Amino acid sequence: MRENVKKMYDFLLERSFRERRSDKIIDITDLVEGKSEYETQVIRLREMLKNEGTLIYDGDIFGFNRTIKNLPKYNCKDGKKSHTDSTGNITVNFKGAIEKGFDSIIDFCKEKLNTELAESSVNYYNTVIEMLTIVLDFCDRYRDYAKSVGNETLYNALCQIPHGKATCLYEACLLQKIILYMQRLLAHSHTTLGRFDQYMYDYYKMDKEKGLSDEDLLEIIELYFISLNLDTDIYHGVQQGDNGQSMVLGGFDLEGNSMFNELSKLVMEASLELTLIDPKINLRVGKNTPDWLYEYATKLTKKGLGFPQYCNDDIVVPGLTKLGYKKEDVVNYTVAACWEYIIPNCSMDVPNIDTFNFPLVVNNALHAHLKEAESFEALMEFVDKEIRQEVNVIIERHKSNWHNRVYAAPLLSIFVDGCIEQGKDLSEFGAKYNCFGCHGAGIANGADALAAVKKLVYENKEITKDELLNALNSNFEGCEELRNKLLNCSKMGNNDDYVDELGSKIMESFSSEMNGRDNGYGGFWRAGTGSAMEYIWSARKCPATADGKKAGEAYGSSFSPAITTKLNGPLSVIQSFTKFDMTKIINGGPLTMEVHDTVFRNEEGEKKVAALVKAFVHLGGHQLQINSINRERLLDAQKHPENYPNLVVRVWGWSGYFCELDLEYQNHVIRRTEFSV
Amino acid sequence: MAKITGNVFSIEEFSTFDGPGIRETVFLKGCPLKCMWCHNPEGQSFESMVVRSPNGCLNCGACLKKGEEITGKSCLVKESIAVCPRNLVRICGEVKTAEELVSIISKNITILNASGGGVTFSGGEPLSQHKFLLECLKLLKDKTNRAIQTTGYTSESVFREVLSECDFVLYDLKLMDNDKHKYYVGGSNENILRNYSILASSGKDFITRIPLIPTVNDTAENIEATAKFMNKNKVSKVEILPYNKMAGGKYKLIGKEYKPEFDGNIEPNPHKDIFEKYGIEVKVL
Repeated sequence: MRENVKKMYDFLLERSFRERRSDKIIDITDLVEGKSEYETQVIRLREMLKNEGTLIYDGDIFGFNRTIKNLPKYNCKDGKKSHTDSTGNITVNFKGAIEKGFDSIIDFCKEKLNTELAESSVNYYNTVIEMLTIVLDFCDRYRDYAKSVGNETLYNALCQIPHGKATCLYEACLLQKIILYMQRLLAHSHTTLGRFDQYMYDYYKMDKEKGLSDEDLLEIIELYFISLNLDTDIYHGVQQGDNGQSMVLGGFDLEGNSMFNELSKLVMEASLELTLIDPKINLRVGKNTPDWLYEYATKLTKKGLGFPQYCNDDIVVPGLTKLGYKKEDVVNYTVAACWEYIIPNCSMDVPNIDTFNFPLVVNNALHAHLKEAESFEALMEFVDKEIRQEVNVIIERHKSNWHNRVYAAPLLSIFVDGCIEQGKDLSEFGAKYNCFGCHGAGIANGADALAAVKKLVYENKEITKDELLNALNSNFEGCEELRNKLLNCSKMGNNDDYVDELGSKIMESFSSEMNGRDNGYGGFWRAGTGSAMEYIWSARKCPATADGKKAGEAYGSSFSPAITTKLNGPLSVIQSFTKFDMTKIINGGPLTMEVHDTVFRNEEGEKKVAALVKAFVHLGGHQLQINSINRERLLDAQKHPENYPNLVVRVWGWSGYFCELDLEYQNHVIRRTEFSV
Repeated sequence: MAKITGNVFSIEEFSTFDGPGIRETVFLKGCPLKCMWCHNPEGQSFESMVVRSPNGCLNCGACLKKGEEITGKSCLVKESIAVCPRNLVRICGEVKTAEELVSIISKNITILNASGGGVTFSGGEPLSQHKFLLECLKLLKDKTNRAIQTTGYTSESVFREVLSECDFVLYDLKLMDNDKHKYYVGGSNENILRNYSILASSGKDFITRIPLIPTVNDTAENIEATAKFMNKNKVSKVEILPYNKMAGGKYKLIGKEYKPEFDGNIEPNPHKDIFEKYGIEVKVL
């Protein structure tokens, strides 16, 4: 790490600068009262930037640091939208903006206004021009400020961008930072960084031709990444760390050629050196991924940041194509804030609009039909029916829900293909794709419950139907023996076809009913294996279930074994969770595994972890998160948080500082499956 | 004829320090020795036993009460498993036929082989169940890489027979002084040293390992003797496993107390220089 980078790095870790931000509340209720959505967006941006100061830290070449913690507030009496409404969780087309600069976007809008247009488009273009002008004015203020404090680097760059196009990697990163900064001010949270190594590659090559070395470029990337971490504590998210600054590296093109390039490697190198939460790295892999890349990526896993998260092109690409996306778009796929596969540049998909609660649906089916089902096969027919019914309830629920989820977002839509061209905001379907995705939480718990019923009630007849239902109704009070029997049945994760086939069955019912269904907005539905925070939230709503889980207890996170399952080990786990054809359930949601950090003690251990990841990919798994975790360290951190300010763990789709998590999440991380030597 | 069975107390699928590649390590129950620092105390006895995990135990006594009902004295019995409200009681040590064990391993063989790995039989002392071990090794021949992790504490004939059926050996050398060996390890080192020489001249792929215990075998004297002995057997590589303070972690599980007579807080000294003097390359794990 170069000295100037080290200086910024230490400055970041020291964190005291965060205390200097203002707590000021900007109330704009009066200003936005009675205004249209577009006007409200303009006011939000203008009032925020009026109040935001220019702030460049010592040695900082990116600036655009927050001086005010809170975004403008408004609570309209008519019950209209509020300041917390946000449109996001997409990957915009950074490349388009970086190649053009904002002046040319304004020119384009002006030209459009000279043509015959619908009134809505006139409003749209005027709004875009107004907002970009506010942004440019602010950037000009920054430029002048940079000059006044003698920051020549930033000053020179701001003379070029964002008015004009970027001419080098540094300017391209800075322009991206400005876009992200502005979007955050309008609560467009979770706009991810996408395929940074692809759209920045031309700038990397340009700089190399100009004579810059990889070390010079690494310095820029590292300073940029540090800059992305400065204000993460005030970003909007469910928990701190859940901010969407994720990045996707590598992958294969339509002909199957690897797209992992020198820049991809440099990004990983920067991440390895910095060990910072952001950006979170996703690595696209496939059957032709070389061993060295898995091994290099494992070095990153070893750092304990919870990434890279692996996505398997061999499964994701055909899966998304089957759903209805164009192959040339699919090949560019990225990952949303957590793990949902999304199409960058041209989509306004809402991949997390709802959650299918597997344990609850299975449980409801048991309560309703166990008595009448004379055979297990008959019971499974009821389960299938209930699952399909619930899918339809979900689809119906969101038939008129678009505008409750996708609010006017002119500043965001500028960077999404199709919006500017058509004069249509994202909320007005300016994007090419407008699909809905549904998580599937607790698949393993659902399958485990069915396996226990099959074994104990129907095959062995050890438990009567009434005994089971009574035990469930009483949350196993006084039924410890019965509960132990349930707990000791076959569980997903142990490579036992007995239960894994039931998992496949319920996934089939869910996905075949949901996939491709019209969402009412020209888009289609996509079924997935993720849970997000739902492994805790949905679980709270779930009573005791036949896998032995007590009421309210958490499910396994995303596509993972139930928390209480006694596992044979990771080889069984990866086989259990790759039996179903994962191209059929491809909204996203990883298998999550914790590997004790002692496994990584030496290079040999690293290679073996890499081999495990490779095996998962070759078995047809779609997504894998593998974490290095030391239980003792986590327990100690709970007791002495003051000693662990920088301990990072992956919580669901994102990484966070362990000590800043709610106790419930901390405990969950500790309880998660852990494999060690 | 009755099928040969063995007692297995654990199978670890992703063992990363028991040989090349990803290893599936099978722990065979029972050991004729009794190392003072043994970190698998549940593997010492040859019989299956009922154990209770201390973490999360409510001390409700339901498990012991069940034992009292059945045997008349307060103890853990098989039936205790079902009554524990936290499901913390389990059987340690399952009797399996060689076919059963091999069919479990077979489920993972493709992955093991793809990583350049295989199966490692550990223990306890796997040679103590040599008939069962041999049967398993034969069934796995040409299917995967077969390793054993052993103290070598057995007769010459058993050792030679097993050696002929495995592809890789992890061999422990603990103490060169026989009196000390008897005291700390619980048996003579004569056959251990003899079998080591057989191994070294067999042409088999193997690695020598020393669990390094502070003040017990990390003395310059013992390291010198070990290095000299290895050198005599033309061995030029050794792996050192420094004492792990977690060693006592499982004693509570079997209702015993861990009482080593050495101070586990002292950092053991691997005396690399002495090994190097004898041309032996040291790798500390």
